[in-house]
Amino acid sequence: MSEGIFGIGISGLAAAHAGLVTTGQNIANANTPGYHRQSIEQSAVIPIYTGSGFLGQGVQVDTVARAYSRFLDTQLTQSQSQASYYATYHAQLAQIDNVVADTNAGLSPALQDFFRAVQEVATSPASIPSRQSLLSAGNALATRFNTLASHFDALRGGVNSQITSTISEVNAFAQQIAALNGRILNAQQNPGQQPNDMLDQRDTLVTQLNKLVGASIVTQNDGTINVVIGNGQNLVVGSQSMALTVVPALDDPRRLDVGYVTSGNTVRLSASSLQGGSLGGLLAFRANDLDTAQNALGRVALGLAQSFNDQNQLGQDLYGALGGNVFAVPAPDVIGKSTNTGNAIVTASVASAAALTTSDYRLTYTGANYDVTRLSDGTTTTYATLPQTVDGVTITLASGAAASGDTFLIQPTRGVGANIAVSVTDPAQIAAAAPIRTTAVLANAGSGTISAGSVNVPPPPDANLQQPVTLTFTSATTYDVSGAGTGNPVGVAYTPGAAITYNGWTVQIAGTPVVGDVFSVTANSGGSSDGRNALLLAGLQTKNTLAGGTTTFQGAYSQLVSMVGNKTRQVDITAQAQNQLVVSSTSAQQSVSGVNLDEEAANLLRYQQAYQAAGKMIQIAQTLFQSILDIR
Amino acid sequence: MRISTTLMYDLGVATLQQRQQSQVKLQQQISSNQRVVTPSDDPIASASALDVKQSQALNDQFRANAERAKSALGFAEGALADLTTLLQDVKTLAVYAGNATLTNAERASMAADLKGRYQELLGIANRDDGNGQYLFSGFQGATQPFAEAAPGTVTYAGDGGQRLAQIGPSRAVPINDGGDSVFRAIRNGNGTFVTAQGAANSGNGVVSAGVVTDPAKWRAAANARDFTIKFYSSAVTPDVITYDIVDNVNNVSLLTGAAPAAGPYLRTYVPGGTISLATQAPPDTNGTPFDFGAALAVENTPASGDTFTVKASANQDIFATLQGLITALGTGTDATAASVANYQNSLNSAMSALDNSLDNVLTVRAGVGTRLREIDTAQASSEDLSLQYSKTLSSLTDLDYAKAISDLNLEQVYLQAAQQSFIRITSLNLFSLLR
Repeated sequence: MSEGIFGIGISGLAAAHAGLVTTGQNIANANTPGYHRQSIEQSAVIPIYTGSGFLGQGVQVDTVARAYSRFLDTQLTQSQSQASYYATYHAQLAQIDNVVADTNAGLSPALQDFFRAVQEVATSPASIPSRQSLLSAGNALATRFNTLASHFDALRGGVNSQITSTISEVNAFAQQIAALNGRILNAQQNPGQQPNDMLDQRDTLVTQLNKLVGASIVTQNDGTINVVIGNGQNLVVGSQSMALTVVPALDDPRRLDVGYVTSGNTVRLSASSLQGGSLGGLLAFRANDLDTAQNALGRVALGLAQSFNDQNQLGQDLYGALGGNVFAVPAPDVIGKSTNTGNAIVTASVASAAALTTSDYRLTYTGANYDVTRLSDGTTTTYATLPQTVDGVTITLASGAAASGDTFLIQPTRGVGANIAVSVTDPAQIAAAAPIRTTAVLANAGSGTISAGSVNVPPPPDANLQQPVTLTFTSATTYDVSGAGTGNPVGVAYTPGAAITYNGWTVQIAGTPVVGDVFSVTANSGGSSDGRNALLLAGLQTKNTLAGGTTTFQGAYSQLVSMVGNKTRQVDITAQAQNQLVVSSTSAQQSVSGVNLDEEAANLLRYQQAYQAAGKMIQIAQTLFQSILDIR
Repeated sequence: MRISTTLMYDLGVATLQQRQQSQVKLQQQISSNQRVVTPSDDPIASASALDVKQSQALNDQFRANAERAKSALGFAEGALADLTTLLQDVKTLAVYAGNATLTNAERASMAADLKGRYQELLGIANRDDGNGQYLFSGFQGATQPFAEAAPGTVTYAGDGGQRLAQIGPSRAVPINDGGDSVFRAIRNGNGTFVTAQGAANSGNGVVSAGVVTDPAKWRAAANARDFTIKFYSSAVTPDVITYDIVDNVNNVSLLTGAAPAAGPYLRTYVPGGTISLATQAPPDTNGTPFDFGAALAVENTPASGDTFTVKASANQDIFATLQGLITALGTGTDATAASVANYQNSLNSAMSALDNSLDNVLTVRAGVGTRLREIDTAQASSEDLSLQYSKTLSSLTDLDYAKAISDLNLEQVYLQAAQQSFIRITSLNLFSLLR
């Protein structure tokens, strides 16, 4: 009889002890990330049948269970993965956001200073100090473009190095998860008992992995998990882990792609397949925003340089020579894919800055045709031959021949911001003057007047532009033209105010000329006080020269600012919402799995009392036994 | 629902951080007086602000340009004012020179005085803006516009180019006038035709400048615009003076339609009477009537064979006008009636040329004045615009201080509440009650 009491008492002591230990474990791990609250599951020992019925045999501890909800934990992991994605995305965007509209570092102030200097030259064309200040403002503007572009390049470099470090972290997690898989497999030889703390550790690693890159988990029957990323690539299978690696992109070696190493081969994982986590954020930023922003900046630089150069070529500098280029810009980048088998050298040039987009292009030779794809929207145009002009970019096959499947990446605007420079060092070479001037001969008897004249676009100007040309009226309604390059037509009909174009210039004669009246168009030699071309240069500031003639330089830049601002704001708001989601899924998960110290304190009391009570039972059993012994 | 202790701390800290973040943001806004610190704060406002800033900068530049234009026009206006004074002085002198009591010596001293004015005129014409840019040389600012080849013959090396200053989005105002238009594009005579006496005249006929009665007829294509009026005196008493009008280009007498012949002629001369360049039949016999829309008068008594010419006006620059006066004064008169008439005719033509020059200069000055006025108006409206841009910019990105500061206070209250409640909640736990 007393053995039964002892037995029950000891089983009670053992159960209370286990409870105390578990509570202690909970208290100790209250702040351990990923820890799930544990509790003992106890049951009554199967009773013994006696003549007087079933007598209880005490208590047994069945197992130590962790408070775990797969649904809530998965939800938390996923929301943290998304939060990490948006936080990284936002952190990257914020770095563009902070500079593009900055009063000191943004482009706008430099752009305005530059055009202010152009206006100064237009007003004082003969002033060398004005011209010098224009060159200085031009240099400052070019430097500002360079600075912004190098900021973008630094961000791209940062993305590359962050991808590299993220990949090595991912690999480390994969190995740890695989190792834990192995240990959990061993631990689970004992059926029905879960190695709770190892499971916690593995779950924590999965969560941390998901913060880096979105990964899905497949739980196997033996208790191990498989980790799958990308388009279904296994990162961890049982106790085996695969490795990710970084590889230079095929079409642009300056950017790193994520590769998946499997049996000695490296498979490239596309950015779109790597969703979620900070890696996803980095890749999305690079693909959606960084490239576009840098291209948009490059387009402003290219548009400015080209239209300024074009107009300067139509003018005349202080030496009386026709103007040249003021800005030097690099030709579009053409990068042949490293797997190309043909020997084609493809070059590109900008035919029209107005038609440029902010997209990059891919040229693919299909064996019969050339497919040009605009990467921003995937529009493909097929051409039988090169050269072809697409969106203002002329693509030329410089030499060699392409093999079927050869691919070239064309970046018309990417490198412009980083490389734009002022190529003129002599302030006198700013072509402020127009190269021609017109004269109504003083002796003219009629009231005809001739306009100041303009040089026809586009450059280069006509070779005979500065040849002297005279228009002599042979009657009130006709005139003869003479001068090299005009073909000396006679009896040309006169319409007052109509454009008269020869040798690449256009003038208008208005009023009532009479027979014998002579008008002449000559070179503007010595025209140092003429600022007509500088006025046209200054006019470029407000001229809609970009995006198919729909916006100004400033407008195009404002679009960039607005795009960056909107995107940053959108990602910021999403990131905040995602954080809220993390908070609520954390609360939900913690309400099941978290440790509440008050609860544990109560449990401590509970198990302490159970322990004390069981102890009391043993004391009573001993007293009972003693009372038997005491019988004499 | 179970609240895990870790979560309670985490949430409490997160709330505190959030509050501090909004405070920092507010502080940033207050210290920079900008509601929009980065474009993401308000993408639309910050993009529009950039555009408005460009318009504002451009507008400021237009105002600066207008100042430059005013200064340039000020130089031109100064030169033109000096020129006006000079021409008025010369005109006064020319009027005085008509005084019949003057001796040749007095005329010579006046001529000497005029030579000084002539040099002054050259000085005005070659004036620069202080930066070595000549005012009246058109585009060729570094080229001296006027050079004297011989007395009264001044060549122009400039051009008619108009330097422009952009004073508004679509307005570039000319800030100079070419030397041609100021000094050279001046019609002589009455502006349409010019009359002169023949070099060999022996009578004392003095010709008027003439009037245009119908400009269209004068301009008509069939008009040769080169005529000679020939006089014939019967040289018997009573003397009957007759005249003919010869078309020099076709060499026909307009009155007869035949080749010019010796006198007497068809029309009878009345001193001071109108000589009309239109058919008067009788006495004209020309079968083809003519009417050139012009008339002139001759005073006194022309001698037989005396001629007066009528030609279309040509340009005569101010230098030649001044030199003509100097020559006339230097030549003076001798005792003959012909020389007095010659002197008078020269003076008359110099006077009308001076009037034309003065008119021309005043016209140019009026143009300068109009442009100065236009610039003032443009400046005023650009100042209004500047204010408007500032307002727009302010409404786009500036901070509402009252709101920001009240927000800051509110945030502080929130933060304090969050801190205090955090302390209260975390200080309560069962362990502290376990003894």
